[in-house]
Amino acid sequence: MSNNNDANLVRMTNQIATNLGSGRDEEAAAAAICRHLETFWARSMKQRLVASLALESVEFSPLARRAATLLATRLSEQQVSR
Amino acid sequence: MIGHFDPKQYARSAAHDKDLGTPFPTGTALVNLEIDGITITVPEGTSVLRAAALADINIPKLCATDSLEPFGSCRLCAVQVEGRRGLPASCTTPVVEGMQVTTQNERLAKLRRNVMELYISDHPLDCLTCPANGDCELQDMAGSVGLREVRYGFDGENHLQATKDTSNPYFSFDPSKCIVCSRCVRACEEVQGTFALTIDGRGFDSKVAAGQDEAFMDSDCVSCGACVQACPTATLMENSVIDHGVPDRSVVTTCAYCGVGCSFEAQMKGDKLVRMVPYKGGDANHGHSCVKGRFAFGYSSHPDRLTTPMIRDSIDQPWREASWEEAIGFAANRLKAIQAEHGRESIGGITSSRCTNEETYLVQKLIRAAFGNNNTDTCARVCHSPTGYGLKTTLGESAGTQTFDSVMKADAIIVIGANPTDAHPVFGSLMRKRLRQGAKLIVADPRSIDLLKTPHLSDAQHLPLRPGTNVALINALGHVVVTEGLEDKAFVASRCDTEAYQSWRTFIADPRHSPEASEAITSVPAEAVRQAARTYATAGNGAIYYGLGVTEHSQGSTMVMGIANLALATGNIGREGVGVNPLRGQNNVQGSCDMGSFPHELPGYQHVADPIARGRFESVWGVKLDDEPGLRIPNMFDAAIEGTFKALYVQGEDIAQSDPNTQHVEAALRSLDCLIVQDIFLNETAKFAHVLLPGSSFLEKNGTFTNAERRINRVRKVMPPLAGKQDWEITQDLANALGYPMRYAHPSEIMDEIAQLTPSFAGVSYEKLEVYGSLQWPCNAEYPEGMPTMHEINFPIGLGRFAITEYVPTEERATRRFPLLLTTGRILSQYNVGAQTRRTDNQHWHDEDILELHPSDAELRGVRDGDWLGITSRSGHTVLRARLSERMQPGVVYTTFHHPGSGANVITTDNSDWATNCPEYKVTAVQVEKVSQPSAWQQRFSSFDKAQRGHLAKAQQEAS
Repeated sequence: MSNNNDANLVRMTNQIATNLGSGRDEEAAAAAICRHLETFWARSMKQRLVASLALESVEFSPLARRAATLLATRLSEQQVSR
Repeated sequence: MIGHFDPKQYARSAAHDKDLGTPFPTGTALVNLEIDGITITVPEGTSVLRAAALADINIPKLCATDSLEPFGSCRLCAVQVEGRRGLPASCTTPVVEGMQVTTQNERLAKLRRNVMELYISDHPLDCLTCPANGDCELQDMAGSVGLREVRYGFDGENHLQATKDTSNPYFSFDPSKCIVCSRCVRACEEVQGTFALTIDGRGFDSKVAAGQDEAFMDSDCVSCGACVQACPTATLMENSVIDHGVPDRSVVTTCAYCGVGCSFEAQMKGDKLVRMVPYKGGDANHGHSCVKGRFAFGYSSHPDRLTTPMIRDSIDQPWREASWEEAIGFAANRLKAIQAEHGRESIGGITSSRCTNEETYLVQKLIRAAFGNNNTDTCARVCHSPTGYGLKTTLGESAGTQTFDSVMKADAIIVIGANPTDAHPVFGSLMRKRLRQGAKLIVADPRSIDLLKTPHLSDAQHLPLRPGTNVALINALGHVVVTEGLEDKAFVASRCDTEAYQSWRTFIADPRHSPEASEAITSVPAEAVRQAARTYATAGNGAIYYGLGVTEHSQGSTMVMGIANLALATGNIGREGVGVNPLRGQNNVQGSCDMGSFPHELPGYQHVADPIARGRFESVWGVKLDDEPGLRIPNMFDAAIEGTFKALYVQGEDIAQSDPNTQHVEAALRSLDCLIVQDIFLNETAKFAHVLLPGSSFLEKNGTFTNAERRINRVRKVMPPLAGKQDWEITQDLANALGYPMRYAHPSEIMDEIAQLTPSFAGVSYEKLEVYGSLQWPCNAEYPEGMPTMHEINFPIGLGRFAITEYVPTEERATRRFPLLLTTGRILSQYNVGAQTRRTDNQHWHDEDILELHPSDAELRGVRDGDWLGITSRSGHTVLRARLSERMQPGVVYTTFHHPGSGANVITTDNSDWATNCPEYKVTAVQVEKVSQPSAWQQRFSSFDKAQRGHLAKAQQEAS
């Protein structure tokens, strides 16, 4: 089941990227997607998504991958600041 | 001059309790006149009858009532006017400056007695055994005019033997008692707008007839009760009053069905509810009602009601009855043990959009403060969460912008993905009233909804789009506005963010959004889209109303923003008659969202990560709160199946029936170690539960509901809770058992805490609600009486923000394997999962869910009306009966989910809105074929249902 859930989170991120991506340059889009994930997703989902950046079994869209990578950076910064 | 009366001083409550004879006038200039020597000042357009009634001069009347336009047929309200000939009817005579009126003298008294004598000569003299005895205007008027004899006798031609019509389950029609005052006919036209009743025949043969002289149930009658309400005699009478007699006390409360939030008088005899009468003083409904609110209350005393807490270790076991203390203790111990083993985030809860604000607030407080996480969500997840996201992003507040009454000032009305005559019937009637006055109607819906069949509709445009193409359509409308110069440039310049507007303008002006380009996607003719955009933008006041046909899509949030863009671009925001209006499904969906049910927001839409807001909650609640959002309902299901989410507390919500992809939901519920369900019935979710806590109906509790127009209305307890506790008391007990103290003695104390912590509720209290009747939030120091119309001066985010709304097709597409698109909806007589309405006589109208399909799709498959049809999607398979319907477009099929055994949600998928995970109920690719037996899921459902009912019955037997 866990693979399923990873794939599901990535699929959701791809959809967010498609919808928030239009009308923005890539950097602004990645920031907007990352902000959306931070605002609406549970801690466990964010951690899971970041972890799935390393998986080969899931397919991130390029923009979604960039946003998830940004999220990963921000999460680790938060870890440090705490 | 012997006195002076100024109606402005007339107390609010008295004005609602008394029938003033004719409606509130539209004029504003004041007119002075003298009635029986008393000088009276009233607005222009007031009738003499109403002016007199305001001064407590009560002119006898029969055909006049203040919910209807004056008719002048009974002649009982005749008066004498100085300088005028004859005796005019005071109901149809408007006041004139300096007029001198006499309401009582020998001549008038004689005339009224003579009129009354004629009425009574054709009326049964069975007052003592008549169901209206003590509540009959004819009886009162006979007394008032002093009728003592009927000189004509009763032997002549009469209507005394006319046959009673008992076809409607809720009221009877006894024409022998009818005085043909036409109040019922006028109520059906003017108030309800159905035009099901008429006066058949002429002169002495005149009689009230339903439809083409049919039985009420065979006619177009929708059983709203307006005729029963208007009838001055026992002709149209509630069966419950016929059975139990006239009620002896009355309590004003709020209906627990749809998001209109009608006010009702619960009329009682002791603890028994005899009838629900729509309350004239209710600001949402002004004395109107629908078949659900007015008549379908019998569920509250249905034998299926749960009255004792139940517990069990596993769902394969029979239930065991328990004391409240034992059941609460059992639940608390399990929750604590699960958190100890699986971590703080392994449990969560779902608040109810049917319970009160206070109860919802308490459940999310329990989760955040006692569970120590933010795993709280509510049914708005599956209905209006995209409204929250979309309106907050563009307008800055997650709520509709208007009052319901605002529609009476709209010149063009767009209805998108909503079906108000079925799902919000009382508001549907108000909208129809405005449409009869000439407002233009534009309906964007795959189906031809009943609103398009409104009698006396002046201008209606239907945009029958393909399911799933909303955003393409709204973009095309926006494109026309921008490229044809229909924008309100002054509004945009002064009220909207320039940069966001410029980006949107460039985006929307692109030819790919033109109606001609999107026709291939939406299948709506380009010219029709252009016409609709022009109508909306140029009619004057343009108002948009929308429902779940907007939100329940993979781009639900995008569509909500597209709607807001359109309203901003045309300046249709910030005054009466315009606005963006989400029609909320359940009675307290608005309230449950306001009260912090969402995992990322504390009450008042304050984000959990906001340290200042969170800090205020922490100091009042005395506990540290998590600053990260929690799981949403579908995320909880995924986590449960995965094994990381182990316990769920569900208050008044039936996720097993209402949520999509039933088999996925069932798998999630089965994986829980502890499911606590608090409900009034053993609903579908409860069949998977370990703890069953019997809840209370809306008649058994105090609290408030917030309707779709942000109106906070009181819910008042009229009878004791059947199981002994109001729902907030149960939540409080659970919190205490978990070691988090809650000590509320009354819901008013909970509201005081809400007001303390929620800026938009800062000015709300029970004392104030008693004074004002209801309050529309925001209600605070700046707006102490609330805010009927939002965004008049500015937006909560300062400037309105246009959003880029690129159309992204749903992944759910018709294919060769699944060539049809299924869309789902509601019907008038049933409500949501049907737990309440299925346990009433509303079953007479709709006792099973039906699959509607276009005759051409049926012909292709050899399907005839009434055939059993197997419906298959990539999620599952179920079987429903077929109905051929021209309301559908070819390629689109439709059903409802009011009955659990239908398995409509076995078919729907777990596709969801990109921003909020609101499920895509409105688009499922399916195939249908003729079959001869129920689906495998239905057979499993049936045996599981039987086993679970058996488990309950066994516990009840053992206890007795």
